[in-house]
Amino acid sequence: MVEPIFDYQFRLILIGDSTVGKSSLLKYFTDGKFAELSDPTVGVDFFARLIEVKDGTRIKLQLWDTAGQERFRSITKSYYRNSVGALLVYDICNRASFEHIPVWMSEARRHIEPHRPVFALVGCKLDLVSNGGQREVSREEAKAFADQHGLFHVETSAKNGMNVEEAFKSVTQEVYNRIQTGEYKIEDGWDGIKTGFARPNGLDFNLVEAEPAKSSCC
Amino acid sequence: MESSDSDNFESADEDFEFEKFEKGSNTTKHHHPVPKSDTAKAAILIPKAPPSTDVNQNKKETSESETLTPEIVNSDKSKSEGSLIKDDEGNKQYQTKAVPQLEVAAKDTVKHDVEIEACDNSRGSNVTGDAQDPDDDSENLWNEGEGWGVDDESDNTAIPNVQGKEKMEASPKTAPIEEDAWSNEGWEIWESDSKEIMIPNPAKTDNQSNLDPKWKGWSNWGVSSILSTATQSVSTLTSSVSQGLSTVASTIESSIGAPEPAELALSNRAEKKSLPAEITSSDHNNKNSMGFGLSNIGSLVSGVSKLVESTSTKVISGGLDTLETIGKKTMEVIQEGDPGLKKKRAFLNLEGEKPVLSQVLREAKEKAEQENKARQEKHFAKKVNYESIFDDHQGLVHLEALEMLSKQCDMKLQLLFESSSGDALMEIQETLAQVKELCELPNEEDEEQLSLEELKERLASAVKELDVNITYDRLISMWEETECWLNNVNLSICDENELHQQAVETLAQLTAIAVEQFHKAGELLLIKDHHSTADEADSLVQLTTTLTSLIGIAASKFSDKMNCKAVGDSNKESVNSLITNIFYEAANSSSYIQDAFQLLVPVIEMGAV
Repeated sequence: MVEPIFDYQFRLILIGDSTVGKSSLLKYFTDGKFAELSDPTVGVDFFARLIEVKDGTRIKLQLWDTAGQERFRSITKSYYRNSVGALLVYDICNRASFEHIPVWMSEARRHIEPHRPVFALVGCKLDLVSNGGQREVSREEAKAFADQHGLFHVETSAKNGMNVEEAFKSVTQEVYNRIQTGEYKIEDGWDGIKTGFARPNGLDFNLVEAEPAKSSCC
Repeated sequence: MESSDSDNFESADEDFEFEKFEKGSNTTKHHHPVPKSDTAKAAILIPKAPPSTDVNQNKKETSESETLTPEIVNSDKSKSEGSLIKDDEGNKQYQTKAVPQLEVAAKDTVKHDVEIEACDNSRGSNVTGDAQDPDDDSENLWNEGEGWGVDDESDNTAIPNVQGKEKMEASPKTAPIEEDAWSNEGWEIWESDSKEIMIPNPAKTDNQSNLDPKWKGWSNWGVSSILSTATQSVSTLTSSVSQGLSTVASTIESSIGAPEPAELALSNRAEKKSLPAEITSSDHNNKNSMGFGLSNIGSLVSGVSKLVESTSTKVISGGLDTLETIGKKTMEVIQEGDPGLKKKRAFLNLEGEKPVLSQVLREAKEKAEQENKARQEKHFAKKVNYESIFDDHQGLVHLEALEMLSKQCDMKLQLLFESSSGDALMEIQETLAQVKELCELPNEEDEEQLSLEELKERLASAVKELDVNITYDRLISMWEETECWLNNVNLSICDENELHQQAVETLAQLTAIAVEQFHKAGELLLIKDHHSTADEADSLVQLTTTLTSLIGIAASKFSDKMNCKAVGDSNKESVNSLITNIFYEAANSSSYIQDAFQLLVPVIEMGAV
């Protein structure tokens, strides 16, 4: 018997300045691993993971990891359109990356129109602060900004996995809620939300639900 | 006046809604007569028309005075008075019937305030009369219905309506040719008689009032439903149906009213006996109504236009033409292969026995779904597998993103086209033509067997020529592993399904990597400062051919192994079908790669201009 391995596919996009840690965040989220060194993203890269929302509905997240580098800006813009959610990523230890968030947000709004995406504000590199690094963006300030714009806010660490799961889960849940309330609909010609398709049992080898690594320290 | 009008409409039953059309028509008719659409209207409106026929008669009578200039009307006292008197009489007589129309007619004919007041009064009484005495209408109706039946005894009850409708259409003014068709049924007499109606004749009002119910009766017959259905289907055929028209049409359709056959049948039985005596008078009435039918229809049309007037006069003129077409089409459709509408009548009578369309559709749908499901289950292991592996390795999404880039470039090129002119435009076009030429893939499938070293070399040189930072290392290492696996595979352990699975996986992964690198190449080309278009095109063509031939090699290597399996195996057929599937997926892979290459062409073009 054929069983669907996911009920919906949501497309989420990660945007923010270069080197804030978008790719690392995604790598941890999908692989449970952290790489000390990684190449800057070229254009856009893709990740995928299956997660469950509260009522057990299985959601495949298709994650678009955009290049933060200025030179790719004109290209990455053309990828925004089909996203149902956008994670605005900044580096807690990099003031400028936080100050650019409003620009990223309005860019995303403009390009995703007429659809209204779910936004989340995600601070990265929380582990650096715990290890005595210089915090340049206070939690309160970020939270205030998030509240002001109606965003979900979380501070994460891709190194120890702190809050990584929460960041994606909250966005996914919110998108799902909006589907439930009828605010979001599956539309032809828009790939932000798709319904899942069925696969034969046992053949979904590459898309097993990733086990979040246990966070070791805080 | 206005306020009382609206009051009437609010409290109105369907007759009043009808009156609205009438009234509007009277006022607008003077300004723009609508001669052509009469026939068209006839088809649609006939069922509805009955209540207003008497009005038409009045109007006809009055129309004589209307045609005269106001002064003449005034000076010719006897004439205007005559009409006035008649109106009053009419009002009285119509108390139980569709009086409002009458009053409208009166208003139109004589524009004096006194008369208008008279109309108002009469209307008030009419309204109450209607409410109090609804049964009268149906009674008369059925009497008249019998009268109609006499004309065509062989047919069932539904017939008279249709005939009446056709009669309307065939009335002398609009469609003289059609008259002949019906002349054998004795209808032509009415037409000749109709001229008499023009002469104001107070005595006739009596007959007219009798007429009224009969017409109403028609509207209750099943014909209205045929017509509305036909109208709908016709309207889908008519490309020129505008928004406004559909509004008009729906208004008309909704005003046609729902038939209540059971009720009618009951009253029919009851009244049957009293009929014969009235037949002659009813015939007379019919004549009158025929004569006036046309103007009635015309007024209906213009009444409709009055309704829509506020929105747009353009819509109306277009809409009326369409209405005409609809009317003609409706009759055509109704009568197609069914002269005299005998079949349709029979069909109407047999309504209870015919299969329900929605049920038939539902069953068909369920059947199709089941078949679909069965087919899906069959193909799942093969088809979805490849695509899901390709998707799992982000091949699909890279292809999609590349598509976005490609579209973006196309749009930019389009903008460039539009913004340039003259020599600059020529130059751009030439450049683009050159790029297209450079990007043509060689047609023949080179079935050469590339060794791993040759493959590496070709890919490396192509990437170098492209001068962007992409790499096929992952693809090469993957292919190395696959070759290694193929060389060492123990065919005695590995069954054909496993082999097939491995083949599909390999193809899907190779293709995903190839597409991904094409996508990256596109992105990097777009942000590159200096372009050497010829080199870019050349190297991408080189990459495409190399990658597709790699796919071919992979497919044939796997199928060789499969063939070894088939020799010793009894189920040769299933092995062969698996081999076929491998080649099918290989063709799929090649076309994905070639698609990706085609998507890169606008990117190269962007670099060239």
